[in-house]
Amino acid sequence: MTCDVKVKERVGTINPIFTCQPAGAQFVSIGVKDCIGLVHGGQGCVMFVRLLISQHLKESFEIASSSLHEDGAVFGACGRVEEGVEVLLARYPHLKVIPIITTCSTEVIGDDVDGVITKLEEGLLAEKYPDREVHLLAIHTPSFVGSMVSGYDVAVRDFVKKFAQKGEPNGKINFITGWVNPGDVKELKHLLAEMDIDATVLFEIESFDSPMMPDGSEVSHGNTTIEDLQSTGAASHTFALNRYEGGKAAEFLQKKFKIPAVIGPTPIGIRNTDSMLKKLSDATGKPIPKSLVRERGIAMDAITDLAHMFLADKKVAIYGGADLVIGLAEFCLDLEMKPVLLLLGDDNSGYMDDPRIRALQENVDYPMEIITNADFWELENRIKNEGLEIDLILGHSKGRFISIDYDIPMVRVGFPTYDRAGLYRYPVVGYGGATWLAEQMANALFTDMEHKKNKEWILNVW
Amino acid sequence: MSAVATKKKSEKVPKMEPLYTSNPLADADPETQARVGQLENYIMKNCLWQFNSRGWDRRKQNAGIIGKTAQLLCGEEVENPTPLEKCYWVDSVLLAEAYREACPWITAMDKDAIKGLMTKLHQRMDWLMIDGSLNEELTVQHY
Amino acid sequence: MPYHEFECSKVIPERKQHAVVKGEGEDLTSCLPKGYLNTIPGSISERGCAYCGAKHVIGTPMKDVIHLSHGPVGCTYDTWQTKRYISDNENFQLKYTFATDVKEKHIVFGAEGLLKQNILEAFKAFPEIKRMTIYQTCATALIGDDIAAVCDEVMEELPGTDIFVCNSPGFAGPSQSGGHHKINIAWVNTKVGTVEPEITSDYVINYVGEYNIQGDQEVMQDYFKRMGIQVLSTFTGNGSYDELRGMHRAHLNVLECARSAEYICDELRVRYGIPRLDIDGFGFKALGDSLRKIGLFFGIEERAQAIIDEETVKWKPQLDWYMERLRGKKVCLWPGGSKLWHWANAIQEEMGVKVVSVYTKFGHQGDMEKGIARAGEGTLAIDDPNELENQEALRMLTPDVIFTGKRPGEVAKKMRVPYLNAHAYHNGPYKGFEGWVRFARDIYNAVYSPIYQLSGLDISKDEIATDKGFVTRRMLSDKNLPEAITSDPVMSEYTGKYDSVSELREKTYPVFERKSATAAAE
Repeated sequence: MTCDVKVKERVGTINPIFTCQPAGAQFVSIGVKDCIGLVHGGQGCVMFVRLLISQHLKESFEIASSSLHEDGAVFGACGRVEEGVEVLLARYPHLKVIPIITTCSTEVIGDDVDGVITKLEEGLLAEKYPDREVHLLAIHTPSFVGSMVSGYDVAVRDFVKKFAQKGEPNGKINFITGWVNPGDVKELKHLLAEMDIDATVLFEIESFDSPMMPDGSEVSHGNTTIEDLQSTGAASHTFALNRYEGGKAAEFLQKKFKIPAVIGPTPIGIRNTDSMLKKLSDATGKPIPKSLVRERGIAMDAITDLAHMFLADKKVAIYGGADLVIGLAEFCLDLEMKPVLLLLGDDNSGYMDDPRIRALQENVDYPMEIITNADFWELENRIKNEGLEIDLILGHSKGRFISIDYDIPMVRVGFPTYDRAGLYRYPVVGYGGATWLAEQMANALFTDMEHKKNKEWILNVW
Repeated sequence: MSAVATKKKSEKVPKMEPLYTSNPLADADPETQARVGQLENYIMKNCLWQFNSRGWDRRKQNAGIIGKTAQLLCGEEVENPTPLEKCYWVDSVLLAEAYREACPWITAMDKDAIKGLMTKLHQRMDWLMIDGSLNEELTVQHY
Repeated sequence: MPYHEFECSKVIPERKQHAVVKGEGEDLTSCLPKGYLNTIPGSISERGCAYCGAKHVIGTPMKDVIHLSHGPVGCTYDTWQTKRYISDNENFQLKYTFATDVKEKHIVFGAEGLLKQNILEAFKAFPEIKRMTIYQTCATALIGDDIAAVCDEVMEELPGTDIFVCNSPGFAGPSQSGGHHKINIAWVNTKVGTVEPEITSDYVINYVGEYNIQGDQEVMQDYFKRMGIQVLSTFTGNGSYDELRGMHRAHLNVLECARSAEYICDELRVRYGIPRLDIDGFGFKALGDSLRKIGLFFGIEERAQAIIDEETVKWKPQLDWYMERLRGKKVCLWPGGSKLWHWANAIQEEMGVKVVSVYTKFGHQGDMEKGIARAGEGTLAIDDPNELENQEALRMLTPDVIFTGKRPGEVAKKMRVPYLNAHAYHNGPYKGFEGWVRFARDIYNAVYSPIYQLSGLDISKDEIATDKGFVTRRMLSDKNLPEAITSDPVMSEYTGKYDSVSELREKTYPVFERKSATAAAE
């Protein structure tokens, strides 16, 4: 077996690939309309995440803090959750949903957030807002478990769990996209529309790419409604494209409402998009239309210009969320490239049993390493001290210094991608995403050829 | 690990009694008020020495700097036996210079008048920055 | 008391005491908001945490140190690369961050063993770095790990290393400011005086409360070096760990950001008799005055004057070019803690820009005192601002530009107010004479952006001019200026380069003769 899967040997983290769970929960919360998350913990847990999100999307989103201070750490801070909910409801008249997101500090202190919610529902909400629609839910995301990816997964499940209602079959599928960009949601909705499939998309974040309006009135927010969330319990199927970013919600719906869960594939690349469309077709009975054959054809046309000429045998390092990394690795293989190092940034024990990883282990015919619980030093150390040669890096912007200092071209994908303009507007999924990815990778390699004067004259007559 | 401080840490500071309970210039004549106002305004717009974080510290800063500024404006020799005194002096040099330029009427005053005016300024600054200040941290014991 | 009540905060009446409008005849005895109190939960405040104040703001600019946070990865990740404090050793402190990666089992059983392994791993990965700072986080504070004990053990096992421990978990105080205090006191208590520095000049300062944002420290250090002053240490921008251990040997502490670092200056004054001189590195007059005071302290005032004269001749005509075009423009000066007062008066006096509001995210009443003193009449001053109040204030004040953080800048953008990054600057550095011109240029480019002008056009109902292909900034800014100004031969736009700092690193400086040993001792 030339594909090695191993856990990072060091116990410590040098240059982390992920941030912690509450960030994932916060990202879910901003996708819901009339929702403001209340993060129960220190102010940094919110302030930094709002900054991170604003770097990625170049937009500001509303998320609140319970502002844990020293006295709370000593005596407990449930009172601050109550006060936080009260203040939010009083000042935001359109607010309907407040997820209370826990952090390491408040989990260690042991604040009973679920108990507080009950108290609020019976007290404040019943007395002060009897006619107002307000939904409170607890999302437990301490930072010493998992990562921002698992925090996302947990939060999606908790939102669905809170709102999903049994009902008359609504003829829709639930479509959980995973942690993607507005550009991805646009592409996925386009594919669903071409398939004539009615779907409840979780989450409607196309609106994250929001305009500057002449009257200065715009505020950036997501568009998934409470009705959308409630309707998930009456769907025919739940598609969770990313196993680790929505799989839990799909499993919940299957267990509670007997709604069949279709987990994966992450529709990155031609093959995985084909696969997703087939599964959609099988589930809904809708055929795959000719229009998508043409679209696929356009992608094939663009990609075949690139694959055997420029991309073949290029060695790639990929890091980020597991679904993204695996999807990209699979596409790279179809493109004749050689992903040699995959870095999965947390210690999810499920990775070892992931059939996609097994497939890599069984079929890859050159040395490939997959490292779990990885950090950036696993990549940098191999380049710096162990002679690893990489032609291309695929990953998010926090890894930029490896690209810059070791002069290796890099295509930014994943979260966050803030050091290039507008990436959130483009898909990496679907046929459109396959084209975009292949062309971005090629252009990155071309720029590098010119920068290093490495047969750059080839492009004169390509 | 041994903490290697060769000097002792801050000693507990005795509670400070206020010098003024109201604006000491409230009853002064309009010309004095206007003139002190001009001098005060320059300090408030341009200087930082009057903003140290504790009341007793501000008391010392005001005394040190305004005192030396008065001496300089009167053409007196200023003694700076310690680095701390020297540090008051540098702020005073610039302040005296600024006053001579922005308030030319000062150069026409005799020594006693200057001293009197600067004393009023000192009182006003003590009131503004310490005794009348709304800054609740001024009375905190430690840094 | 001229409190200002926001419509959006009427339901939280305690907020009323956190905003004032400076009226005519008001002074600080009648006009000062409350400050540095506990944050109201759910208010969507701008504040961060004490870990940020300690680790992110003050600790990490130290350039030759492994910065290790003891806790889960989030705190570390969130404070990695998110500031523009550069260093002249290729930004080691920007590129590398370390976390002990505390997991659930460590919360239950303790993480001291994990910490020790981490320290060894980190030193091993970067053998050329022998200094480390370990920052406590909320998690490890709550489980009670004895970080100092672990460090003592390691320092014995690895001779030649030195480790600084900073216990400032996120919840330790109402905001970042609590962290500033903790790290200041910890440093002076445990590290100052543990190294005897080499003295290379008769005039020795510590440059305190300066974090080398985009090269600020290097600009100022250049002036000091031109005066023959030894900058023994900078706390902490472009700063070196071992230099900072020698702070006790300076003759003078030159203090810029009093909010974050007056604590260590006050302690050094009490313990070692080193005076504290507060300065402003922003603005021609303030900077000139500051250099002269430092020069006076050492009896080398003429050297300061030479620098002021040289720089002023070169850059004043360019500052004036912008001043003529920025006169009367309104700004909301909304930074974190001290720039509200560093900038409030200087912007008005030297760029003609009217400050209509100041705020402080994590500052104390002292910062508000300075800010309100330096701001003009009618200024709205807000303590611990929150999202709704900011939006209400922007609608009420209609500024032409706003100086604030990156994320609030996005809120302003939506409301069609161009922003400049007050924390990390746009095209900085902004300190120094040239830097101040760079700032003016950025303001000009923001205010007179033809694109911003276009963003206000509603093409569904407003008049659209079909005879224009473009508009230039000069067309907008010079519209009502007299010809004497627009064709003045001396004033000009900024002529400096995109990067005004790197060349400073190649400079050589004059060597001044040392006084004899007996004279120096006086």
